[in-house]
Amino acid sequence: MNFHLIDWIILVAYLGLSVFVGIWAKRYVENMEGYFVAGRRVKVALGSATLIATEIGVVTFMYFGELGYVTGFSCFILGIIGFFGYMVIGKTGFIVSGLRKLKVITIPEYYELRYGKNVRILGGILLFLGGVLNMGVFLRMDGIFLTETMGFGPNVLAIVMTVMLLIVISYTVLGGMFSVVITDFIQFVVLAFGMLIATAFVLIHVDFAAIGTVVLTQFGEAGVNPLVNPRFGWTFLIWMMIGSIAISALNQPAVSKSFASESPAVGRKVFLYTGITLAGRYMIPMFWGVAALAMFGPTMNPTTAMPRLLGTVVPSGFLGLMIAGMLAASMSTYSAYMLAWSSVATRDIIAPLSKKEFSEKTTMRLSKIISTLIGIFILLFGLFYELPATAFQYIAITGAMYAAGAFGCVAFGLYWKRANIVGAYCSLCFGAVAPIGFLVLEQLKGVLPSSMLFLIDVNVSGFMSFVLGALGMILGSLATQRSHPPIVLKPKEEGA
Amino acid sequence: MDTSVLIWFVIFIIAMVLFFGTAVVITVIGVRDLRDLLSGSATKE
Repeated sequence: MNFHLIDWIILVAYLGLSVFVGIWAKRYVENMEGYFVAGRRVKVALGSATLIATEIGVVTFMYFGELGYVTGFSCFILGIIGFFGYMVIGKTGFIVSGLRKLKVITIPEYYELRYGKNVRILGGILLFLGGVLNMGVFLRMDGIFLTETMGFGPNVLAIVMTVMLLIVISYTVLGGMFSVVITDFIQFVVLAFGMLIATAFVLIHVDFAAIGTVVLTQFGEAGVNPLVNPRFGWTFLIWMMIGSIAISALNQPAVSKSFASESPAVGRKVFLYTGITLAGRYMIPMFWGVAALAMFGPTMNPTTAMPRLLGTVVPSGFLGLMIAGMLAASMSTYSAYMLAWSSVATRDIIAPLSKKEFSEKTTMRLSKIISTLIGIFILLFGLFYELPATAFQYIAITGAMYAAGAFGCVAFGLYWKRANIVGAYCSLCFGAVAPIGFLVLEQLKGVLPSSMLFLIDVNVSGFMSFVLGALGMILGSLATQRSHPPIVLKPKEEGA
Repeated sequence: MDTSVLIWFVIFIIAMVLFFGTAVVITVIGVRDLRDLLSGSATKE
């Protein structure tokens, strides 16, 4: 067993502190804006810390580690693409400043302003489904990570993960965005320190020369050139280039942090500073994965190789700190995701479908119930669902389910005057077709004729989702300009 | 060492330095931001 008494003391002390602080923050909940967006008073450094903490979780370490193990250095290109995606948003305020000016809390709220109530409901359903399916894989990955690094059996880990989930639900449900912001900040500090510890010990045990040699021996040029790597290629890279901007700007849990900022300019800067760290937070776990290949060889399960490496090279005491950091990362991700998806379900699906208007108190109570249900769902999903691709590709394709249509609706809605309700419907539906088709057909791949096998290529599906989403908006809007004239919006506050 | 491997190592080191450097800056300034947020927020009491 890798995990000793000192590690347990560090871990329990840290988890106790997180719960205490999260529940203590309940005293700051004032109203609905306080609950969902922390009263919109978050400044740049704090906003950046919470956004980074939201976007890094054990699941991100796991899927990037897995990619490093199976593709070598080729996957590092994702860090570069993501870095430029965030820089574009951070420099121009693309999408996020426009939404922040309109003072929306969720993305489907924008749909109602620009296209009408029914688009908001459809967009809310797709966003919620895609988002919760996306989150479904988190717990399983966390379980595998803990199994390998701590050295316990999977049965015990299921209990540990359930306890962790209960802790997160408790402070998310009780405290809302104030709890999330405060605990995210603490978690950011701890997880950055955890990453530093892990990287230092990996570099002590596995040298650069051995890593370079094993990548070239194992993969040849495919290990250093993403264009010739069979898992990537042009289709994947173009999908990632579009997707990195779309998903970054429209990922509700992340963009909630931008909405919580004190002004549109601060919201934009949060993306800029977060973007500076992006290449590192992608490449560091990828590097751990490549180092695992150098240490253990190519015969291991790709998912378990990276956590096994960390469990092997990080000594007791430091291991407790590192695991605390990793759990910190996960807890901040869970809490932000649960808060974001429950706010979408409550405000964008249930409330618009209800005949009577909900009070702020009812909206928050409903959101808390849905947060709890999401927690139960991800526990069950993690136990029973088999992933159809690498974890990264699964996350990207479920993200595309809502991001492709949302990108069509929001980007065109903000920057193209002719965007109208018909275009919005077409964009949402067309954008979701390819990812849903992939997830369904992948289950039937044994009976598919060979001519249809391209439909279960995850890269083709992801790329097509954005093409179809954009085409749906353009063609749908142009064909119906007279019958459905576009709605023109004015910002609710001064510009960025 | 192969040139392409070396290039990826250099990119990785730059990315790592940017990550940890920014993390330190964000941590220091973030403490002040957090204090401002909490002091400017009314409590239930």
